[in-house]
Amino acid sequence: MKVVFVTPRYDPAAIGGAESAARLLAEHLALEPGLEVCAYSTCALDHLNWENQLPAGTSTLNGVTVTRFEVAEPRRKAFFELDGRLRHAPRRASWEESERWLRLNGPDAPGLLEALRSGDADVAVFSPYLFLTTVAGIRAAPMPTVLHSAAHDEPPLYLGAIRDAFVRADALCYYTAAERRLVQRIHPVAEKPQVVLGVGLGEPVEGGRRGGEILGIGERPYLAFVARIDAHKGADMLDRYFRTYKQRHPGPLTLALVGPVSTEIEPHPDVVVTGTVDEPTKWDLLRDATAFVHPGALESFSLAIMEAWEQGVPVVVNALCEPTREHCAHSGGGLWFGSYREFEAVIDRLAGDEKLRKSLGANGRAYVQAHYQWSALVPRYVRFLGSVAERARGARR
Amino acid sequence: MIPEPETSERGDDPSSAQRYLATVMAEIDDEVERRRASGDLPQRLEHELDELFLRFSPMASRFGGLEEALGSLEASAYIDPVVPVASSKSGGTFVKRSLRRASMWYVGWVTAQINQFTAAATRTLRVLDDRVRTLQRQLEAQQVPAAPVLEIAWAHGPGAWWVDPALRGLSSPGGRVLHAAAADGWLVHRLATKGVDAYGVEPRDGRIDLAEVEGLDLRQEPVFEHLRAVGTDSLAGLVLTGVVDVMTAGERSVLIELATRAVAPGGRLVVHSLSEAGWRSEDAPIEADAAAGRPLRSRTWAALLERDGFKVAVLEGPEGLDYLVVATAAEGGPEAVGVR
Repeated sequence: MKVVFVTPRYDPAAIGGAESAARLLAEHLALEPGLEVCAYSTCALDHLNWENQLPAGTSTLNGVTVTRFEVAEPRRKAFFELDGRLRHAPRRASWEESERWLRLNGPDAPGLLEALRSGDADVAVFSPYLFLTTVAGIRAAPMPTVLHSAAHDEPPLYLGAIRDAFVRADALCYYTAAERRLVQRIHPVAEKPQVVLGVGLGEPVEGGRRGGEILGIGERPYLAFVARIDAHKGADMLDRYFRTYKQRHPGPLTLALVGPVSTEIEPHPDVVVTGTVDEPTKWDLLRDATAFVHPGALESFSLAIMEAWEQGVPVVVNALCEPTREHCAHSGGGLWFGSYREFEAVIDRLAGDEKLRKSLGANGRAYVQAHYQWSALVPRYVRFLGSVAERARGARR
Repeated sequence: MIPEPETSERGDDPSSAQRYLATVMAEIDDEVERRRASGDLPQRLEHELDELFLRFSPMASRFGGLEEALGSLEASAYIDPVVPVASSKSGGTFVKRSLRRASMWYVGWVTAQINQFTAAATRTLRVLDDRVRTLQRQLEAQQVPAAPVLEIAWAHGPGAWWVDPALRGLSSPGGRVLHAAAADGWLVHRLATKGVDAYGVEPRDGRIDLAEVEGLDLRQEPVFEHLRAVGTDSLAGLVLTGVVDVMTAGERSVLIELATRAVAPGGRLVVHSLSEAGWRSEDAPIEADAAAGRPLRSRTWAALLERDGFKVAVLEGPEGLDYLVVATAAEGGPEAVGVR
């Protein structure tokens, strides 16, 4: 069986949870006998401008044959104007407006669509739902299509052109049951073949350094945030909440913001911004954290939470983010907050209760071990893809 | 403080871990309420911080929940007349401060009135919210519980008399076949073996994991929630077993409406139900007594479905303990037979 993955970006340097998850899945599938795995993507690395940064053409990355196509034009300013307008009432946007939003959102890679049209793959896998490569790709693909939506409860999910992609896809793959509930609440797709898969976790590769040493804070305890440092991920809110917390509760607790910086963080003696770090450094930082805080409200899975749990570290999540809260509730591995007051009480409790931290961390680790190992996920997914291809063959007969 | 189970027990037993977490979260909620009552956080700061929390919240939270909507309103209800004066330009702070001082009497007078109005408006909404909650609580006490899924060994398993007749005529061209309540997927498996593109929905906990791993498309979801989310005319067949037996009239009416929408023209709706005699039998589960509804007679089902444009056949079970209703949706939908 030949499988083609279609993502707007396909490169370890591209920061994006859904695209990284698709790439990891493709790489693990490529190890399976009888499967030929390739990927179609663009030459872009940055979703804010879609500039062609990687060379066009075909290469091999970790067993996957990757073909990159040039983006016809970078993102235009008109996108942000239209996006700002539609965000207030996405359900009221006309079909034409939603189509225009999609075109402006991009990335527009005509070569990719042409390759799909003439492709010989048995199944095409698209992720995430938000981009033109997915929506136009599903329309163009002659083979059966699987949409890994990575859906968040955000305005674009309600647009007509997006609904069209969900309805046209032959099958759906969700990260969590919460994501499935969200999608089914908005789009009439419950009867489609689907699987709730999640993302597998690799073995931690530690660098052997103490987290405090990396951060330059010695033995001081710290909260870790590992993601893109921007407002959408909740980094602004976390920074503000933490500063308020420290004003009201002076002490040694520090906040480590780890990841590429997209928003300005004012210097503060108790806040360390590391920028992007390598994998061993990330695992070291996670291992020694007092807690891992994931304040984003718009997540569909969060691999970072699984990584923290793999290191036995408790997590703190946004109460309004159904998938991450569901992870915590099911695993017993984390707490959540829905206001500053709750944030303060949660951090106080975790900082002062080592037994609780250990218990939550152990619960989280057991959850990851039970549900998110590639060795269990890949055979399930291969069976699922096989059934999607078989179903299409049956329909043709 | 709650007693803490051993770590190893928690890690191995998800339900124990979940109970432990629920207790910790309840303690945290109590602590939050205690601190709120103490008034230790300036109201303006709290509103500002809560507004920040809601800025990137999910759509449904922004527009769906009354509590969140009220919280958002309260967070933005206070208008601050004290304009910030920080400036990066030399002398800017002085100029801004002077302007603020000079206009404070005017701005302060206007904002005081606006703040009085917003405070009254939010208070009114809170009073309304309280009254709605009181009504909700009163309704909850009188609420009719949702019909449970019934399961009796002789009626809901591969050996039941109705399975072969139910499977006859079910095929997947024109859509998939859905079985609810699917239990461990035994009927979905039978359908799949026949080459039918089938899937199952099971609302009860702990019934489907094993089958899912074996490659069947089974989901743990409430049946109504699922049917609301399927496409119009998307199912070639809908098999309902253990679901309709003790439904209330209201639930049954909604179910028929959803089924009529979901089943494609020419598709099959298959309903298995206990009869009144089966419901009263010694081996009927206790849910039969506790449920608010009771089984209909087979001819009542026939009449209800015929009214909605289905062509109906009824098969009575041995000893009259149960029956099977096989209904075929009219080609062209209910409109085609003049019922809509």
